[in-house]
Amino acid sequence: MGELKYELSQNAYIKLVLHARKHKTAAVNGVLLGRVSPQNDAVVEIADSVPLFHSHLGLLPNLEISLIMIEEHYSAQGLGIVGYFHANERFDDLELDSIAKNIGNHICRYFPQCAVLLLDNKKLEALPKGKDRSPVMQLYIRDASKNWKLVGSDGGCQLLTKEPAANVVLMDYISSEKWQDVVDFDDHLDDISKDWLNPDLFK
Amino acid sequence: MVTKTEETQLNRLENQVDNGGGGAWEYLCLVKKLKVRRPDKVLRHGLSILNDPKKRSALGPDVWTLYEQVSIAAMDCQCLDVAKDCIKVLQKQFPESKRVGRLEGILLEAKGLWAEAEKAYSSLLEDNPLDPVLHKRRVAIAKAQGNFPTAIEWLNKYLETFMADHDAWRELAEIYVSLQMYKQAAFCYEELILSQPTVPLYHLAYADVLYTLGGVDNILLAKKYYASTIDLTGGKNTKALFGICLCSSAIAQLTKGRNKEDKESPELQSLAAAALEKDYKQRAPAKLLLLTSALKSLKTS
Repeated sequence: MGELKYELSQNAYIKLVLHARKHKTAAVNGVLLGRVSPQNDAVVEIADSVPLFHSHLGLLPNLEISLIMIEEHYSAQGLGIVGYFHANERFDDLELDSIAKNIGNHICRYFPQCAVLLLDNKKLEALPKGKDRSPVMQLYIRDASKNWKLVGSDGGCQLLTKEPAANVVLMDYISSEKWQDVVDFDDHLDDISKDWLNPDLFK
Repeated sequence: MVTKTEETQLNRLENQVDNGGGGAWEYLCLVKKLKVRRPDKVLRHGLSILNDPKKRSALGPDVWTLYEQVSIAAMDCQCLDVAKDCIKVLQKQFPESKRVGRLEGILLEAKGLWAEAEKAYSSLLEDNPLDPVLHKRRVAIAKAQGNFPTAIEWLNKYLETFMADHDAWRELAEIYVSLQMYKQAAFCYEELILSQPTVPLYHLAYADVLYTLGGVDNILLAKKYYASTIDLTGGKNTKALFGICLCSSAIAQLTKGRNKEDKESPELQSLAAAALEKDYKQRAPAKLLLLTSALKSLKTS
């Protein structure tokens, strides 16, 4: 795979964490939109994210519809699905489950450098106490034998936020309860007037 | 499980109370009735009543159920001191009560003291072997520890006795889905549809599981259940409408080259597509183009 750098834009990052925070008692997931950097093909720019579901993550129909529409929308901007985000139901559960791996595998068929991000609740909780600038997520990459491996700090690949102060902004939004405004695809399917693009979230 | 009208009513009431418009007691009663999980609001508004002696006495004997409701909400928010205080009040009023004993067990769970909680419930169960709440708390302990095989085993055992507990069937189905055990999840939804055939949510969930299982037979059956969902919801369920389109597309792909013995009427798919387009035009016009092209790609795939 080589030493890939995954650059997560602040908005994409915050949207996903806020979504997880909104549905504290459930597992949630989302997709990452982006592209290989035109200037440096060792960098994957994750420009945006779309929060997907907060219930029945393991069922296909809604996932298929959401991916069709999301891909269609973002391809017009030259972006594709480059990764997947997952947050487990339980606080200290840092295991990547089969659903996440399956969806990751599916995305790999179209984008082999697919990144799977798993929310790290302990890191998130510790944010206000420290000055940690790294994203509160674990990065998983598929190795040559098609197994999903956690990328450690000594690994070749890296996950970082494009904007260094992203965590500060995140904490701000959490304390102002901004997570209430996040709309995911589940919400859209329940009420199509709700927009999964969340256009006004960061205004 | 709440209907859309119930949810709107609840949110309206919640907004009202949040903004100082009164109605806290009505809100708390509604939350209890609908069995929704809004611990921070329940805690805030419940305490505003409990901490005010006048408001407390105005409730009469209902104050004790409020203490119970608030203690559970407090535990859900990890405000264990508040929970402990509420439980103490209840212990004083109802010494030796099994119901308060249950709350003490839940407090042990909230502290993560699983073994102690398990012991507490087991001893309570000796005197009350048929208390459904105690059985379900034990399942909750297993689930909270990520011990799914045990949770499933106990939930199945529970359902052998309490087979009319729809919430338990739903919980079991959801656990199965999260573990990708779709056949078993399907069985749960079949039970739910048998006992409550007019609840559209079960038809929809069953259809989703069948579609996920895959294979022509399952998808044909899924289509029938998406259709029944549409029937039961007056055509207003977006997920079911999309479901029809997905099924038609999947069946067409799977039966490519086969002699079409199953005359798959294309009308259902076109009707569903038309209904979706009409709805999006009205309520989500910005997404109409996306929808049309998504439906087109489903038709041609």
